[in-house]
Amino acid sequence: MFFKLDSFTLIGINAIRVSVEVHLSRGLPDFVIVGLPGKAVNESRQRVRSAVINSGFDFPVKKIIVNLSPADIKKDGSFYDLPIALAILAASGQIKCDISGESCFVGELSLDGKINPVKGLISMAEESQRLGKKYFLVPHEIANQASFISGVGIVACKNLSEAVEAFACRENIGKFICRDKIESVSNRGNSYDLDFSDVKGQLRAKRALEIAVSGRHNIMLIGPPGSGKTMLARRAVTIMPDLNLEECIEVTKVYSLYEKHVNRLIQKRPFRNPHHTISRAGLIGGGVNPRPGEISLAHKGLLFLDEFSQFPKNFIEDLRQPLENKEVIITRSHLSFSFPCNFMLIMATNPCYCGYFGDGSRKCVCSQREIQKFWKKMSGPVMDRIDMRVTVARLPESSFINTGTSENSDEIKSRIEKCLYIQNDRFKGKKISYNSEVGIKIINEWLKDDKKIRDLIYTISGKYNLTARGTVSILKVSRTIADLEQSNTIKENHVIEAINYRVGYGCNPGSNF
Amino acid sequence: MIMEIGNKEKILYILIDRKIKSSKFMDIFRQNSGDINKTIEHFLKYENLKLNLETGEKNNHDPEIDTHKKDKYGYLKVMDYIFKNKVELLCIGDDGYPDILEQIYSPPPLLFFRGNKIKEMEFGIAIVGSRKCTAYGREAAAYISRNLSEIGITVVSGLAVGIDSYAHKAALEGKGGTIGVLGCGIDIVYPPENKLLYEEIILKGSIITEFFPKTPPLKNNFPIRNRIISGLCRGVIVIEAGEKSGAVITCEMALKQDREVFAVPGNIFSPASRGCHKLIKNGAKLVERIDDILEEFSQVYQENLRLCSDYDQKDNMKAQGKQDIGIRGNEARIYEFIGFRAKSVEEIVRYSKMEVREVLGILASLEIKQLIREGSFNKYSRLF
Repeated sequence: MFFKLDSFTLIGINAIRVSVEVHLSRGLPDFVIVGLPGKAVNESRQRVRSAVINSGFDFPVKKIIVNLSPADIKKDGSFYDLPIALAILAASGQIKCDISGESCFVGELSLDGKINPVKGLISMAEESQRLGKKYFLVPHEIANQASFISGVGIVACKNLSEAVEAFACRENIGKFICRDKIESVSNRGNSYDLDFSDVKGQLRAKRALEIAVSGRHNIMLIGPPGSGKTMLARRAVTIMPDLNLEECIEVTKVYSLYEKHVNRLIQKRPFRNPHHTISRAGLIGGGVNPRPGEISLAHKGLLFLDEFSQFPKNFIEDLRQPLENKEVIITRSHLSFSFPCNFMLIMATNPCYCGYFGDGSRKCVCSQREIQKFWKKMSGPVMDRIDMRVTVARLPESSFINTGTSENSDEIKSRIEKCLYIQNDRFKGKKISYNSEVGIKIINEWLKDDKKIRDLIYTISGKYNLTARGTVSILKVSRTIADLEQSNTIKENHVIEAINYRVGYGCNPGSNF
Repeated sequence: MIMEIGNKEKILYILIDRKIKSSKFMDIFRQNSGDINKTIEHFLKYENLKLNLETGEKNNHDPEIDTHKKDKYGYLKVMDYIFKNKVELLCIGDDGYPDILEQIYSPPPLLFFRGNKIKEMEFGIAIVGSRKCTAYGREAAAYISRNLSEIGITVVSGLAVGIDSYAHKAALEGKGGTIGVLGCGIDIVYPPENKLLYEEIILKGSIITEFFPKTPPLKNNFPIRNRIISGLCRGVIVIEAGEKSGAVITCEMALKQDREVFAVPGNIFSPASRGCHKLIKNGAKLVERIDDILEEFSQVYQENLRLCSDYDQKDNMKAQGKQDIGIRGNEARIYEFIGFRAKSVEEIVRYSKMEVREVLGILASLEIKQLIREGSFNKYSRLF
C-alpha cells in the first residue's frame, strides 16, 4: 500500500518540490519518517496521528514509512503535516483521491485537525505553477497570499476534513478555490498615513530626496538632533512609484519567509528601519536555517539606517556586496541560499558626537579629532556608494507655524514616475535600470560631445578637491536631474544643482577643516 | 664626538642632566644681572665639563652625573638628535635670540628651532583662536594673516588645528612668513594632521619650541608655549575664541608682557566669538582690516598703512557693487538678498519666488564664484 503526494521545501527564497511517499506494510506498528527530516518534521508524526484521529478517521495500525524525496536535502519546518496525513489516509484506503497527481499540498496540522499557516507559501505557489500543477492545497488563513499566482488553483482548506473533501473529488474543489478580492494592484494612490507635505521647510532635503528616489541614488541625511531626518526618510517611501504585480509578488515572497501570517499580497513599498543594536544575521540575513535579513525585507523598497554612525563598522562593510549585486548569498556547508535585496538606502546621521556641528544656534562641543574620528568610521567603500549627501538644518520655531502649501506625495510621485520611464527607456536591454547604476563608460558617452560640461566638471573637481568617485556621483545625479526635467542632455544648470548634494557645507565634516 | 662647547651646550647640559628647571635657571640669570657666563658658571662651578663632553665619558666619581646613565634621553642623546636632524639651538644672550622675547619676564633660556625665520624676523604679530573655528573664522584668519604677511609681517601662531593652521597656511603665501611655536618636543608633530604644514613651515618659516625633544604635548605645556607666542610678537590678534579658551589666556599674558591685544568680532549670535567680544568690551582693539592693526604701530608701518588702504578700498568697491562682480539677473537678485546675516535656503526660496531647484543651482554657482558661503547647515551669507 503505497501513496505519493507532492509538497515543497524552501531553499532561500525558492521552493523546490519534495515528494511525500508513504508506504504501509505489515509488521509491528510503527511510524518512521526518512529523508533527512529536521526536528519539526519528525515531530509531525505526533501531530498527524492526533489530527487524523480527531478528524474522525482511523489511524492505521501498520508499519508506516514516510520518505521525503529527494532524500539528500535537509528538510525542516511543518510543511509536511497535511501531505503526510492525506497520504496515510489514502494509502490506507479510507479516502478517495482524484487529484493527487496534479496537485501539491502544504500545511501544518494542529491536533484537532485545523490547518495552520506555513512560511513561504507564495514561493511554493510559483513553483507549482512552474511544475504545471493544477491545484495547490494551502492553509485557508493565508491563502490570499498566493492567490495572484496565475495558472494554479489555490485551494484553501480550514481543516483536515475539508482537505479530504477537496481531495476526494474534482467537483468538490470549486468551492474551496480562493480568489482575492483585490481586483488590481495598480493606481492605488497614497496608501500611507504619511505625506511629504507634512514636512515644513527643508526644501533642499526634499528636493534631494525626490532626485534620489528618481534615480535610485543612495542618500545620506546629515543633521543635528530634531532636525527632521527621520521624518523625511519615512516619507520618502510615499513618493516611490507603486509596485507592479511582479514586484508585489517578489516582496511578498520575502515577507512570507520572514513571518507566517502574511495573509495577502503585499502592495506597499517596504520601509525598514532597523535599530542599530541589530545583529549581523538580522541585518544581512542568516541563522542556522537562513532567514532574510532587513536588507532583503527592504527589497524593492527603502532601507533606512537611522543613526548610521552607531552601526558597527563591520556591518556597514557587509552592506557593500549586497548594494552592488542586489542580492545576498548566504553559504552554509551544505547549500547556498540567496535572497534578493534590491533596495534604496537612506542613512541618517548627526554631524558629530554631540550632534551640533554646523548648527547655527548651538555650539558643537566636539574637538576636531573627535569629528574626524566620527567620520572616519563612515569613510571608505560604503560612502563611495552613496551618491548624495544632504544636510538637514533645524528650523526656527516660526517655520512650523508658517504653512506655505507644499507639494503632496502624489504630485512628486507622478514626476518621479515619468523620470523612471525615461530611465527604463534608456537602459532597455542593459543589465541596469537606474541612473545610479551606470559606470564611467556610459557617463563618458553622455559627455562625449559636450566640452562645456566637461570643462565645468574640471573646474568643480579642482575647486572642491573631488575624487574621481565624487565627480562620477555628481554626474550621475546630474543625469537624474536632467531626466526629471525631461532634458535629453545634461546641461550646465543640472550639474551645478548636483553640486549641492555632494560638496555642500557639512556634507563631509570630517575633511571640512 | 668632539665639538666646541658653547654656552648653548652648557645650558642644555644644565637643564637636562642636572635637572635644573628653566625658571630656576632664569632666577639665577636675573641674580647675575643678565650675565649668561656667570650664570653657567654658577651651575658648573665644580665640574670639569669639557672633559666629559669631549670623550663622551662620564665622571664616575660624581654621583649626580652618574644617575643620568640610566636616563633614556640625556644630554648626549639630545645633542646627537639635534646634530642628525638639523635642529638648531638658540640660547638667551645669543645674537639670533629675538630681543623682543628676551624682554619678557621669564624668557626660555634655550630654544630649539628649525627653519631660519626666527633669526630673520623683524616684526611679528600673533594670530590665535579656537581649534573649532567656523567657516567665518577660517576666512577671517586667512584674510588677516595673508595681508599681514604680504607687507612683511611675520605671523606667529601655535600650529594647532583650526585658526592656527589657517593663519600659518595663509602667511606662507607672503614674504612675512610664519613661525610656529610648539607645545611639545621639536621631533613630535602634533597634531599629526599638520604634518605637511609642519614641513612647509620649516622651508619657509620656523618651528620653535623650548621643550626638549621627545616631550609629549602635555596639557600644561600649552600655557607655557603661549607665553612665547605673545612674547615673540608686538601684538596678538584673537579670531574666534570661546569664553574660557587658550586664546584668551594668551591675551592675558600678552597684556602682562605689554603687547597690544586685537580681537576680530564675530556674529553676535555666534557662540564661537564670545571670547573675542569679551576682550573687545575690556578694551581690546576691534579689527576689521589690517589697517586697524598697523595704526597701532604707525611709526614702523606708516607707509604700509596707505598701501593697505588702497588694498581695502578694492574690497569696499566690491561690497558696494561699484565694481562688476560678473553676476546678472536672478543671480544678482539673490546675491543682493542674501546679505551678511545668514539666510536659510527656505528664506531665499520664499523671497525669490523661484523653484527650489533653480535656487539651489544659483546658490551653488555663487559659491563657486566665491561670493557667498554656507556658514552653517543650509544657511548662506555673503562674503563681500
